Amino acid sequence: MGTYLIRRAFHSFLSLAGLLILVFFLARLTGDPTNLYLPLDATLEARQEFTEKHGFNDPIYVQFGRYLVQLAQGDLGDSLMKARPAIDVVLEAFWVTLSLAAVVIPIALIGSVVVGALAAYKPGGAFDRIGTIAALLGASAPDFWVAITGIIIFSLTLGWLPTSGYEGHLVYWIMPVTVLLIRPFGLLVQVARGSMLSVFSSAFVKTARAKGVKERSVIFIHALRNAMLPVITVAGDQAAGILNGAVIVETIFGWPGVGKLMIDSIFNRDFAVLQTSILVTAVAIFTVNIAIDIAYAFLDPRIRHN
Amino acid sequence: MRSSIPAFGITDMQKPSESTAFIPPPPSRGLRLLLLLWNDKFAFAGAMFVLMVVLFAIFGPWLLGDVATKMNLRARNMEPFTLEKGWLFILGADALGRSILARIMVAGQNTMAVATTAVFAAMIIGGTFGLMAGFIGGWFGNVVMRLADMIMSFPSLLIAMIVLYMLEPRVENLIIVLGITRMPIYMRTARAEVLEIRERLFVSAARVMGASNWRIIGRHIAPIVLPTLTTIAALDFAFVMLVESALSFLGIGIQPPDITWGLMVSQGKNYLQTAWWLSFFPGLAIMLTALSLNLLSNWVRIALDPVQRWRLEV
Amino acid sequence: MKWTKFLLGLPLAVSAVALMAVTGAEAAGKIVTVVLSEEPDVIDPCESTRSNVGRIVKQNITETLTFIDPKTAKISAKLATGWKQTGDLTWQISLRKGVKFHDGSDFNAASAKKAIERTLNPKSDCEIRLKMFGNVKMSVKVVDDYTIDISTVKTQPILPTMLGTMTITGPNMQPLKGDRNPVGTGPYKFVKWVPGQEVVTTRFDGYWGAKPEAEGARYIFRKESAVRAAMVKAGEADIAPNIALQDATDKKMDFGYFNSETTRLRIDMSQKPLDDIRIRQAMNYAIDRDALIGSIFSEDVVNMTNLVVPSIPGHNPALKVWPYDLAKAKKLVAEAKADGVDVGKEIVMLGRLGIYPNATEAMEAMHAMLSEAGLNVKLKMVEVSQWVDIFTKPFAQDRGPVLQQGQHDNNNGDPVFSVFFKYGCEGPQSTTCDKQVDAGITKASATAAGPARDKVWQDVFARLHELVVDVQMFHMIGYSRVNPRINFTPSISTNSEVHIAEVKFN
Repeated sequence: MGTYLIRRAFHSFLSLAGLLILVFFLARLTGDPTNLYLPLDATLEARQEFTEKHGFNDPIYVQFGRYLVQLAQGDLGDSLMKARPAIDVVLEAFWVTLSLAAVVIPIALIGSVVVGALAAYKPGGAFDRIGTIAALLGASAPDFWVAITGIIIFSLTLGWLPTSGYEGHLVYWIMPVTVLLIRPFGLLVQVARGSMLSVFSSAFVKTARAKGVKERSVIFIHALRNAMLPVITVAGDQAAGILNGAVIVETIFGWPGVGKLMIDSIFNRDFAVLQTSILVTAVAIFTVNIAIDIAYAFLDPRIRHN
Repeated sequence: MRSSIPAFGITDMQKPSESTAFIPPPPSRGLRLLLLLWNDKFAFAGAMFVLMVVLFAIFGPWLLGDVATKMNLRARNMEPFTLEKGWLFILGADALGRSILARIMVAGQNTMAVATTAVFAAMIIGGTFGLMAGFIGGWFGNVVMRLADMIMSFPSLLIAMIVLYMLEPRVENLIIVLGITRMPIYMRTARAEVLEIRERLFVSAARVMGASNWRIIGRHIAPIVLPTLTTIAALDFAFVMLVESALSFLGIGIQPPDITWGLMVSQGKNYLQTAWWLSFFPGLAIMLTALSLNLLSNWVRIALDPVQRWRLEV
Repeated sequence: MKWTKFLLGLPLAVSAVALMAVTGAEAAGKIVTVVLSEEPDVIDPCESTRSNVGRIVKQNITETLTFIDPKTAKISAKLATGWKQTGDLTWQISLRKGVKFHDGSDFNAASAKKAIERTLNPKSDCEIRLKMFGNVKMSVKVVDDYTIDISTVKTQPILPTMLGTMTITGPNMQPLKGDRNPVGTGPYKFVKWVPGQEVVTTRFDGYWGAKPEAEGARYIFRKESAVRAAMVKAGEADIAPNIALQDATDKKMDFGYFNSETTRLRIDMSQKPLDDIRIRQAMNYAIDRDALIGSIFSEDVVNMTNLVVPSIPGHNPALKVWPYDLAKAKKLVAEAKADGVDVGKEIVMLGRLGIYPNATEAMEAMHAMLSEAGLNVKLKMVEVSQWVDIFTKPFAQDRGPVLQQGQHDNNNGDPVFSVFFKYGCEGPQSTTCDKQVDAGITKASATAAGPARDKVWQDVFARLHELVVDVQMFHMIGYSRVNPRINFTPSISTNSEVHIAEVKFN
């Protein structure tokens, strides 16, 4: 297990390096930020001064070299937008998004496995139909539509929940979490259901039933373990999606998360923040993927022995 | 998998005795499938809906292209469900007075093109790489998985922005962007399934019998993995349509005068309180299409599985 | 089975939570909650010409030497009590006595000089310097404790007006831009900034002026206009200075006001076929402005004839609005075509996403109108950075004919801040070059404020109208939503400043 982890960490490190190089060059292809940070009326000299001060007029490989040198010293650069070290800006925002993901994914995972397993138990039955359709409708609704409609209904009309905001009270979390939950939930229900269907018709389940193993046991111990593999894979993908892409929920509900930060840094050509936020979210996503791979080994002893 | 046991239990050894009863020939495979479809009413409805959408996608722009772009500021945000201005305006008018019904039909082409191509490409390419990565393992498997990691951690919105900035926000470029960003999930899922399946008895059996790797992957493993991938693809379809909408929400996606359902939903977000139909009907189109595809894919899963098929034949 | 319990438990859990729920933090007591569209990146007062910073800082935390009245464009005393031009190149400013900064230091000639030099420090890219004083070289001399002399290299007849943008910061602030703890003389002092969430200010007891009612202010940020409007309606905020037209549906809470922005389509006159005056005239005749007003644009917008709003001195009231005349437009295009002008050449209509509410729809509508006149127009919407690149010099050589959607605000009291940049031959955003216009600009800049200066500007605008340099659109209306628990009337300056001291509680 130990060597496996070290090997995976090393491979992830290589991916990370590749990613950063790619981001560095691709981001600079979008142009020079000078025009965004100076007023329209700034003189040509003022613009040239700004460009030189930040080194944007140097050839790209020179800029890259400079970046590597700084990186080696642990300096991830300063944010052009916020005039603070990029790493501070990113970590503050990342914490917000991480807490959101940490609430959404477990709920989605557990809920969808339960619903999916029950739906697969009697495919075509009432629970299956209703559950599937409800989950699907939720999963295919545009999230900004759901969010704004939610605010209209629950805050303005009914007055049950606050419109928006990032605060400690539970009430501020209900709508953002719910909106973020519906797509992963809908998708995972389908995957769990499909997965369980296959497993129910497989030989070892028949054997277990034939042996007289209790029904509940059949589902929750034998079938579920094998069906979980695709489910946690997809859940990992959804977690990644939230970590680097919950921008719409963050924007509408005013949560200062890293998804919104990345979009802002793209529009504002704040390369330091962009690179740093990709670095941070990538590390998180790679960690999630490694955790999933370890979970495979736990769930399926046959894989473990490989 | 095709069963090696002939239908109805009649083997080659027995000859049917002459009988005066007329035994109709067994229905052809195609007809049998249609019957199975009919037996699942939901899936049938879904299939009909998808067919309708495909027809819109093909013929819509040709028939209604002009109507969909005809502006009439005085009919701005006209309410739906009145026949004042004719049947074309039954779903209301958008912010520039254009018929929403016509626009939905015309936008169907772009939306379908983007979603179908992107998802299909991602599934085939990603799935194949995932299969190979899981089966072959070793350094190849590692490289593929690290590639998947890289793509997953690269914010799809950033890729979209850069590609669309460099190459213009056109439908073709959007397909490339979305296809690439959706690949990792198929890679990882396919690999996960393969890891589990290749340990099963029948695979070892096939190997012992001398089947080559390709044969094992193609004939034995892929058919088991395919249903999971198509389940994901059916939902991914909706996801791609929604990502496209999100890109428009952020200002990066398809730009007017091109239209897609996602763009229509995003354009309507400013009017959610005053003219809800602008976002609602294109959003409904997305939801119903996703729902239909999914019901259809669930049906496919059962219909192709010999163990479960009886549920549809009753 | 477990699942029955789960399904039964769910609605109970949900209702329990709902009962527990306290509907959001209500805007409480005498603290004014202002919801803005964007968090400012920096809060240094030398950036306060940027509306996000100005709305928090200007005249709240820091004050300016003179104050520009938003309605009349006239200047009045603020931290400066008097000003006179003592020489061609010198202005003498008398400073107010008895004023203290938030950190206890005194406001006097020495600290005023320090504050001005801080803003104009070439090592900082202060927005105020770049936007207002870019071409103005000045030096400050202390005459006595409450008098300073400002000397300029070129004569600046309206220096006092320009000082209406000069925010006076405390002498102990860091010398370079980027201080996160702004200190000024204003009625409210800075308390804290929680990045991503809020900025908080509280009433300053040592303020030199009248004591305001509000005990403090809290600034929060929500990007979506619908959410900002909802917050005020739900009582979670008091003022939303800027909401979209569609969300301003409540007559009691919503105020429309001229926000000093003017929109137009900039014509690149150096490119064929836009260099032909008939084509430019045809474009203006082809736009049905009445159809746009009240539909895509607020019904209160005013048709533009000059780049500056009517309250700015130098605005020429005699210029006529372009009427909608599609037949005439088509005729002009046909005439040009007959003369060999390539009217079929593709003209790009370049829009900027989100530049004003319904920007995309406006461009789509105008695209349809210009097409009807027989022109070959193609619509292209881009984001800010690309738009800025194309809008400012240096222009690309092979750019082709472009109509660029633009919006300009001029609430600083004089056309000089706009006309040179947009229409002068050397102007950084100018696609025009006309000797008469340039001569007018030079002359006006050197003329003292008053009717003579106004007349020169009026002639410049008349000439610009004659040349048809723009497809003229509107002087825009902004909307604010104000919670009925307070009494606050937005004005033309609300676009860039929100004076908390003016807030009264009902």
